[in-house]
Amino acid sequence: MLRKIIHGLALILGVTFISFLLMVWFGPDQTYTLIGKHATASQIAEVRHQLGYDQPFTRRYLDYLVELFTLDLGASNSSGEQVSSILKRTLPISLALMLPGFIIGNLLGIVLGLVAAFRRGTWIDRLITGLSVTGMSISFLIIIIALQVLLSTPYGFNLFPVRGWRVDNLSSYLTYVTVPTLSLIMVTLGYNTRFYRAVFVEESSREHIRTARAFGASPATLMGRHVLKNSLVAVSTRIMFSIPLVVVSGSLLIETYFGIPGIGKVSFDAITSGDQPILKAVVGLTAVMFVLIQIVADFVYRLVDPRIA
Amino acid sequence: MLLALGACDGGEQTASLEGSYTVYRHSMDGAPSNLDPARASNIYANFLVVNLYDTLYRYKYLARPYELEPNLAEHLPQVSVDGLTYTIRIKPGVHFIDDPVFREGKGRPVSARDFVYSIKRHFDPETRAEGAWLWQNRIVGLDEWKENGADYKQEVTGLRALDDRTIQIQLIAPYPQLLHTLTQGFSAIVPPEAVAFYGKELAVHPVGSGPYRLLSFNTASAVMVRNTGFRQEPFSLKNEGFNPALQSMYGLEHLEGLLPPFMDRIEVEFIAEDAARWNAFIAGELDFVKAPVSQFDQVLQSRDPPMLKPALADDFHFQASLESGFVHTDFNMDDQRIGYHPDPGQNARNKALRCAITKAFDWEKRNEIFYYGMGQVFAGIIPPVAPEFDPDQDKTAISRDLITARHLLRSHGWNAGNLPDLEIGFTSSVTERQMFEQFRSFMADIGYPRDKIHPLTFATYGDYAQAYLNREVMLMTIGWTMDYPDAENTIQLFYGPNASPGSNTANYNNEEFNRLYQASSTMSSSPIRTTMYRKMNRIVIEDCVTISGISRKLILLWNRDLAMLPDRSFLGGHFFRFAGRGEIKTKNKARR
Amino acid sequence: MKSPRTLTLSTVFASDPFEPGPKGSRAWYKLRQDKAGLFGLAIVAIFLVLTLGVFFGWLGQGWSVAGGGRWEPVSVDHWLGTNLLGQDIFQRAVFSLRTAFEIGLVVSLLSTLLGALLGVLAGWYNGEPGRTWVDGGILWFMGVLDSIPFYLFVAAVAYALQGWPWAMHIAMVATFWTTTGRLIRAEAMRIKSREFVLSARAIGLPTRLILLRHVLPNTLHILLVQATIAFVAAIKTEVILSFLGLGVQDSVSWGLMLAESTQEVLAGHFNNFLAASLMLFMLLLGFNLLADALQDAFDPRQASL
Repeated sequence: MLRKIIHGLALILGVTFISFLLMVWFGPDQTYTLIGKHATASQIAEVRHQLGYDQPFTRRYLDYLVELFTLDLGASNSSGEQVSSILKRTLPISLALMLPGFIIGNLLGIVLGLVAAFRRGTWIDRLITGLSVTGMSISFLIIIIALQVLLSTPYGFNLFPVRGWRVDNLSSYLTYVTVPTLSLIMVTLGYNTRFYRAVFVEESSREHIRTARAFGASPATLMGRHVLKNSLVAVSTRIMFSIPLVVVSGSLLIETYFGIPGIGKVSFDAITSGDQPILKAVVGLTAVMFVLIQIVADFVYRLVDPRIA
Repeated sequence: MLLALGACDGGEQTASLEGSYTVYRHSMDGAPSNLDPARASNIYANFLVVNLYDTLYRYKYLARPYELEPNLAEHLPQVSVDGLTYTIRIKPGVHFIDDPVFREGKGRPVSARDFVYSIKRHFDPETRAEGAWLWQNRIVGLDEWKENGADYKQEVTGLRALDDRTIQIQLIAPYPQLLHTLTQGFSAIVPPEAVAFYGKELAVHPVGSGPYRLLSFNTASAVMVRNTGFRQEPFSLKNEGFNPALQSMYGLEHLEGLLPPFMDRIEVEFIAEDAARWNAFIAGELDFVKAPVSQFDQVLQSRDPPMLKPALADDFHFQASLESGFVHTDFNMDDQRIGYHPDPGQNARNKALRCAITKAFDWEKRNEIFYYGMGQVFAGIIPPVAPEFDPDQDKTAISRDLITARHLLRSHGWNAGNLPDLEIGFTSSVTERQMFEQFRSFMADIGYPRDKIHPLTFATYGDYAQAYLNREVMLMTIGWTMDYPDAENTIQLFYGPNASPGSNTANYNNEEFNRLYQASSTMSSSPIRTTMYRKMNRIVIEDCVTISGISRKLILLWNRDLAMLPDRSFLGGHFFRFAGRGEIKTKNKARR
Repeated sequence: MKSPRTLTLSTVFASDPFEPGPKGSRAWYKLRQDKAGLFGLAIVAIFLVLTLGVFFGWLGQGWSVAGGGRWEPVSVDHWLGTNLLGQDIFQRAVFSLRTAFEIGLVVSLLSTLLGALLGVLAGWYNGEPGRTWVDGGILWFMGVLDSIPFYLFVAAVAYALQGWPWAMHIAMVATFWTTTGRLIRAEAMRIKSREFVLSARAIGLPTRLILLRHVLPNTLHILLVQATIAFVAAIKTEVILSFLGLGVQDSVSWGLMLAESTQEVLAGHFNNFLAASLMLFMLLLGFNLLADALQDAFDPRQASL
């Protein structure tokens, strides 16, 4: 346990250092978006000083670490809003946006993977594998554009709003979340199916499964009780480690494209405007989340698979 | 549910028609930077700030050209004979909105001292204000106040509250644009208590005395509700400069005598993507839209005069007007490869090169492809929306002339081998990249080798601004939005002492021009001043400093059941308070 | 989206003994039996020929010429119509092949190389007394890189190095190598305990030589598959980056075409979108099928079932 924590701390230090180096030290300089129309050299120096850009590297990095560990994340340079309240506002939106697609995508992937693995070598397997390869070959961007045209414009069915997020009850939630969710499912399903199929194939070729089969266990029992159960470690690893990436990386593109004010859009806007307090918080917290997940993962493994303990 | 919630807010006032709760859903093509008046630097922020806070002056709602109108001020100011001392009385009995920053949460009366404080804030480094340039080196003692440490207890000679309701401003030299600056969000009045209480978060907790107050605000939308304590001043068509000949179709008449603000609630959606904004409007999710150029085909029946397609005209009002600004591409005169050169011979060759590039630029095609042929191309730096614009100007500077361009190059010894590499700066976006590619194809027509024209792309506007303010960009395209209806605001873009990091991004420095600018800058509007402006315009054109310019046409559409006349230029957000529901019974589709 | 196959491959490759000679020819034999794989190979080959055509200046050279009107429909002059500026969409789509291959090749070669080197080092020093820090350090580095949100990281690198045409490539290499690295590390750990390595160590061969001669060559099958996967990932990432304005700067790519098309499709102009997405899809499909076939061909378990 102690080793885990030390390991985690080293990881956090590394992540924060690299992201600080890239996004803050070499990152965009926001001074020039904050000086107004008629700047003077002294004004520029003034703003740079206030943003702390004139401080030496180590000083700024250490400040960052202190901010992160005390969770005192400061305020956005652009809007002046506290970063913590920005996160509080945007994180639920991103979760509400991404979770349905994430859950459905994984469940479907597991089901299809099971079917394919169980019917290995048959036409069903070939069909599922073929479709997942096809799915993997379509760019995320293409899926988003195509679905938007198809579902939200007069050129297609025009069923859903083109963009935005004005959610105040269940029905408005469903109208806004559908197209992004479908995009997310389509983009991940191919990968998920292939992954789960491989895991299940691996598992079902193990000795005890073959033995069980030889003794005439029914296919459903086999898949459900033995294969699925024994694959839980692999499945839960994948799901747990996808969470931080799905919430930040995945939502970045979807939210930017659909104009949804979640954490991905806020991070992207922070990149393009150079709003460093937000960037620092998002990256730092993602790293912390990763480390926490690694620690939690250990417990989960023990829970689902007593062999590991 | 939301309706019920809002109704408690604004039910008691009489303005809402038929006793129902009224909502106006506005859309903008960008998001506000910051709602702190001192930092309301983009037009989106300004739009909201003038509704959440009070300004001393505004423009009349309907009068064009724009005319000043007292807002929080009681009258137009008393100005001393030398034009240096302004005395302004503010209206009695105006209160800030109720907010925890005040004692017992009750809004206190607005005082002249609040105005003085709000202007001083721009000169306090702590504020990180962006509007100080409006008053820099203009007001007696204000710049010194900043140098002496920006202590609010210290008085500024030229900026004083004589009593609770009287403001006195003393100028260093006549500043004819002063009153225009007092209509802007930058000059809006902030109570010191709010700054002390909220600090940086003032930006998301506005505490003002404007017609609306903020309910919610994020990167996607803002919601404002009526300030029920707003001063009661009946709407008067005559006073606002109503022109029945041009404005009778908008249904404004029935609002006469009612109390603005007319709407209980204003929802503003920030939608940068053109198509998305348009589709949301067509789907009925918005009441107002600035039609994107890519949709002009679908929107307009004819371009000149602009006419709406009949199907749309049944449902929407519309207005076609020029933006209050222009787009131009400057040569960096500080760059010896293309600008000034110490060697007179090379200097002349560089000028010939600049002129050839300008001549090879195809404004007609640029306008056609990117502005649907609806922008107005004009020569020089006084855009059509400025009162000093010359409608009969000489158009040779904007007519493409490949023969002259090639001749200029040849006669000055330029050929494909010795032409310099051009670097065109822009922020990386699809449209800017396409404009770059189009520029490159224009230049190909005078034999400028394709591989000598390079993009210099920047991922963020800030990085781009940093590069050109440090004079590192050879050619840069700038969009300028005018701050007030006076061409001084665009002419100063080429005044030598304003060179980068000031607003003179071309780093142009011409003695005669500078002299004329200095002389005209203290003059009030007059035919002589206009002549001087136009002279400066010619000088810039003849020196081939900038490829300029185009003013974009804005096609604004709004629901027919609204009684309002929106404005995207100098009046800006001030029009929100006059936006009203139309008379329900007269909503007849046969009018057009 | 990131490194989804880590586990598949490690599970697939982490077992049966591997014999270079006969196995290689068996793999080739199996590849020839695999119809989907051959189809993929054919697609890749056709695209490769086209790319060479672009590279040698026979194809797509007019991609930047604005020779037509705005949004012209399909015609004899413009096979796929024109875009907003009047540029020929077919020529642009074909020229983009060069961009795609250039990015794919550079990124897949470099990231595979880096992954191979660091992976072998880490695997080799795993459990070596006194040298485990090499393994620990490399593992830590991989962990760090994997913990930064992918697009944020790539975007940040692209910003930090902006203006430099290779910024995008560097960003991708920096993130893609870790998957390969982990696989190679596992493989190296396995090979390390094999007879021929043990005997090489026993006769005192220098570590450098053992790694280069005995360990690395035995991981080639992984590297081949990984390179194909990286190729696909690179092209996909380029599309997203170019859409966000961080990708290709002075050229044309499918990503840029798609970015242009996002403004066009909602106004009813689909040519740009269709051209870019079909080409992109075909190329990715080809590579994905090929990667699959390679994987199957080298998969030792397939034979036993």
